Amino acid sequence: MPETLTALGLSHYLMTGAVLFVLGLIGFVTRRNLIIMFLCTEMMFQGVALSLVAGAKFHANVTGQTFVIFVLTIAAAEAALALGLVVMMFRRRGTLDVDAWQAMSG
Amino acid sequence: MSTPLLLYIASVIGAIALILMMPRPEGTPASRLTPIGALLGAAALGGLWLAIAFKADLVTPDAFKGVVGLPATTFAYFYVFSAIAVAAAVRVITHRRPVYSALWFIMVVLASAGLFLTLSADFMAFAMVIIYGGAILVTYMFVIMLASQPREPGREDQAPEYDRVSRDPLWACVAGFLLLAVLLTVCFNADGTVQPNPAAAMASDAEVIATQLTDRGLDAESAEQLGSSPEYAADGVSNVERVGLDLFESHPLAIELAGVILLVSLIGAVVIAKTRVEDLFHAGRPVQPQPAEGEVG
Repeated sequence: MPETLTALGLSHYLMTGAVLFVLGLIGFVTRRNLIIMFLCTEMMFQGVALSLVAGAKFHANVTGQTFVIFVLTIAAAEAALALGLVVMMFRRRGTLDVDAWQAMSG
Repeated sequence: MSTPLLLYIASVIGAIALILMMPRPEGTPASRLTPIGALLGAAALGGLWLAIAFKADLVTPDAFKGVVGLPATTFAYFYVFSAIAVAAAVRVITHRRPVYSALWFIMVVLASAGLFLTLSADFMAFAMVIIYGGAILVTYMFVIMLASQPREPGREDQAPEYDRVSRDPLWACVAGFLLLAVLLTVCFNADGTVQPNPAAAMASDAEVIATQLTDRGLDAESAEQLGSSPEYAADGVSNVERVGLDLFESHPLAIELAGVILLVSLIGAVVIAKTRVEDLFHAGRPVQPQPAEGEVG
């Protein structure tokens, strides 16, 4: 039988995951550069992935690791689309400032 | 300590630290407080680990294996990697230059790959480094370099204004760390509420090998014998094999859907790239002085 995490060991990893997630969230809200904002969403993905893998270890299976593969898939798709949009928006306004696109909020 | 008071104190200190470290206009008194913010942040992280160490009586190294579930030598790496991950994450959101933010994000990815290794998730660790550090971050670097704004004349050493001044750092940090305090409290009390699910535990190496042999046409009895035989047991079943088995046996539909998503985003990215943008920046009204031809776009 492989070694598993106890609930306390799990809480260590969950806390690190929560800190990464919240730091990404704060970065998304405060930074005004479009590219940094998308980088912060990737950081939130990292926190979630860490929690998933720790949960997998806790339950002694690999389902959490399988889920992380799908998280990676979505992250890659999101990065490709978002960065394409960012380049297009930069060419239109000449700035990466999100405030330059305030008119889109209606 | 029965109440997670230390956690709340650590959250408040962390919030103050992050507010101090956020990019601010230069010359204001607040912009000189960044080193103090860094010190406070380190203190907050230390307080966080101290809180869980107090809870578990982790003062003696021998206690680790029973209390945490991992050997002390492995768990030491947890502290190292998570400290690196959190520090690099703070740097990602506080650095004024996007290129350095992206480089610090690679540090976050490497540190969390290290954390995956302590959880014996080898495949995920390497996939993380290859896909995030190798593919996604290279795309980010390309876009950062493609979309870099020309510097203001006379202030070439300065980043653009939207990188130097953050938006509402105070309220974002208050809200974010409020959320963090709640999350930490839930995680902190996990050992009272969370139970491992024995039914979900993965099959032993011998069972996995026996199933594989049966699938290849061996009769069940001799497959079982072979599976538990020493020469097969010596190799065991690696983490990659386990992830692969789980992926293709339990989630075949999800794989197909993931393929569809990748295809759709591929087509979408091509469509976006081919869209003809009315180039206001370069055609009619330049916001900044024109860069040299071929430098942008």
